[in-house]
Amino acid sequence: MLAVDVKNIKKTFTSKQDTVEAVKDVSFQVKQGEIFGLLGPNGAGKSTTILMLTTLLSITDGKASILGIDVETQEKQVREKIGVALQDTGIDNLLTSKELFFTTCRLWGYNKSDSEKRTEELLELVGLTEAADRRVKTYSGGMKRRLDLGLSLVHSPEILFLDEPTTGLDPGSRRVLWDEIKRLRDTGVTVILTTQYLEEADELADRIAIIDEGLVVAEGTSDELKASIGGDVITFLFETEEDIIKAQQVLTDSVQEKMELRITVEDGASKIPGYLKELTSAGIEVSSVSASKPTLDDVFLEVTGYRLEGSEEPVEETPTTTRGR
Amino acid sequence: MESNRTFLTQLQILTKRLLLRVIRRPLAELPNIFISAFFLFVYDGALGGVFGGSAQGTPFDFANGNFVNFILPVSIVSASVSGGASGIYLVEDIESGVFKRYQSMPISKWAIILAPMLVGALRVLLQAGLIMVIGKIIGADPAVGAVGYFMVLSIAFLWGMGFAGYSVAAGVRSGSSQGAQAASFLFFPALFLAPTFVPREALRGWLATASAYNPTTYVIEAMRAIMVDGWINDIIFKGFIAAGSFAALTLTFAVLSARKATEKA
Repeated sequence: MLAVDVKNIKKTFTSKQDTVEAVKDVSFQVKQGEIFGLLGPNGAGKSTTILMLTTLLSITDGKASILGIDVETQEKQVREKIGVALQDTGIDNLLTSKELFFTTCRLWGYNKSDSEKRTEELLELVGLTEAADRRVKTYSGGMKRRLDLGLSLVHSPEILFLDEPTTGLDPGSRRVLWDEIKRLRDTGVTVILTTQYLEEADELADRIAIIDEGLVVAEGTSDELKASIGGDVITFLFETEEDIIKAQQVLTDSVQEKMELRITVEDGASKIPGYLKELTSAGIEVSSVSASKPTLDDVFLEVTGYRLEGSEEPVEETPTTTRGR
Repeated sequence: MESNRTFLTQLQILTKRLLLRVIRRPLAELPNIFISAFFLFVYDGALGGVFGGSAQGTPFDFANGNFVNFILPVSIVSASVSGGASGIYLVEDIESGVFKRYQSMPISKWAIILAPMLVGALRVLLQAGLIMVIGKIIGADPAVGAVGYFMVLSIAFLWGMGFAGYSVAAGVRSGSSQGAQAASFLFFPALFLAPTFVPREALRGWLATASAYNPTTYVIEAMRAIMVDGWINDIIFKGFIAAGSFAALTLTFAVLSARKATEKA
């Protein structure tokens, strides 16, 4: 049985002023025991998708099920199966983590003695035993995220939804959380996480769906996605705008980003001399050139036309570039 | 896990969590208690000399010789406004994401909404109780006997629940703790467009008319009957009806508002 089965879901928000299609058409399937990453920029529709799958938002159109249970019609049964840690950590800062775990255990139906036992287990699991009696407002961002993760695990859910679990964390805290998420996957928990970090998707997710403007624009394992753009990426760096404009006439399949032109070809290293000869003959000065295997960053650029991190602006493309959608 | 996750168990757990929050912020309790006690001391100090024991036998003898008995209901009504914190508790949970976490769990949404109202009511009991203790220390003595304290507290509880419901409705409708807090300004016209310092018969003009339509009037009059005059059943009954109706009305308003706010978008 599939852990998550999403078929053409849509979400439209209608107000007096306007109508916004936050999710236009999203479909994907997640197998049990895998980490599935929804990768995309802010506003792509990742969080809205998660909110629909966790029963917190209605689905405007389409179908979704969790372990075969319909998300729209069997909310309560779905909630029994899932753990949820949303972007805004829903944590009461005035309480201690021990009190929060105990309260959450009781709300999930554990009796008092089982709640105490489970609280100790979870504190140990997320590494907060030492800080258990301190009020949460004194915790670092990383500790709060670990607590948030722990709270979503109280009832040992089969499926865990994590909405941007490491946003705002320092690299060290991020690494700790990654290890914890991988460990959960290894114990059989299915994890669906959203992220806007390429590195996180690459490192954590067994499979990735790239979401842009409410649509899934690519899906597969990290290796499959990288292979899908074919060959190597050759990056040419230029000194002047004039050189770039002229170079685009030569490198007709290139994608521009700032002062660079990138082109994807088979066996890139062997083709560099030929390209350089053509460019030099056209009177274009190339500052540097390099060939590399494609990264997830390149995949994102290829399928969306812009980079996920850094520039928010869409990347200019030469007219002949083929979009991956 | 237990299979019987009942509404009442959930309500009890959520109420306990909010009470912990109240205990962790003791300073938040002080302003309202201070204002209520301040009213009691200042009014007794400023007016007790004129309308207290020395007024006996004069047309101003409406306090039956004990002005603390007469003015204590004003401080208790003031203390019962502490129920207005309920909306703030709920909105704080919405703003912090706690509300959404609970919504993602199989918990009754009514337990999530009623818990802050219950905490607001307990807060009213605590604050009104403290004001009564202060009143007793400075000379309050209910005309109906010690049972009068219990009766006054009961009316205060209902009145406070009314404010709790009102603030929850204002909070979920405005979606901000500032909105819930701002709504408590209703308290000032409610308290002062009433026979606050003198009996209703002594009011005149527009204030006499306004006080007749203000439910606070009947709440204060019932408390005063208990404290000053004794068993004047129809006045006491009207006080319970006014406070109970206010509570029923605002709680209905709160439930309807909360239902709308918790509907899935």
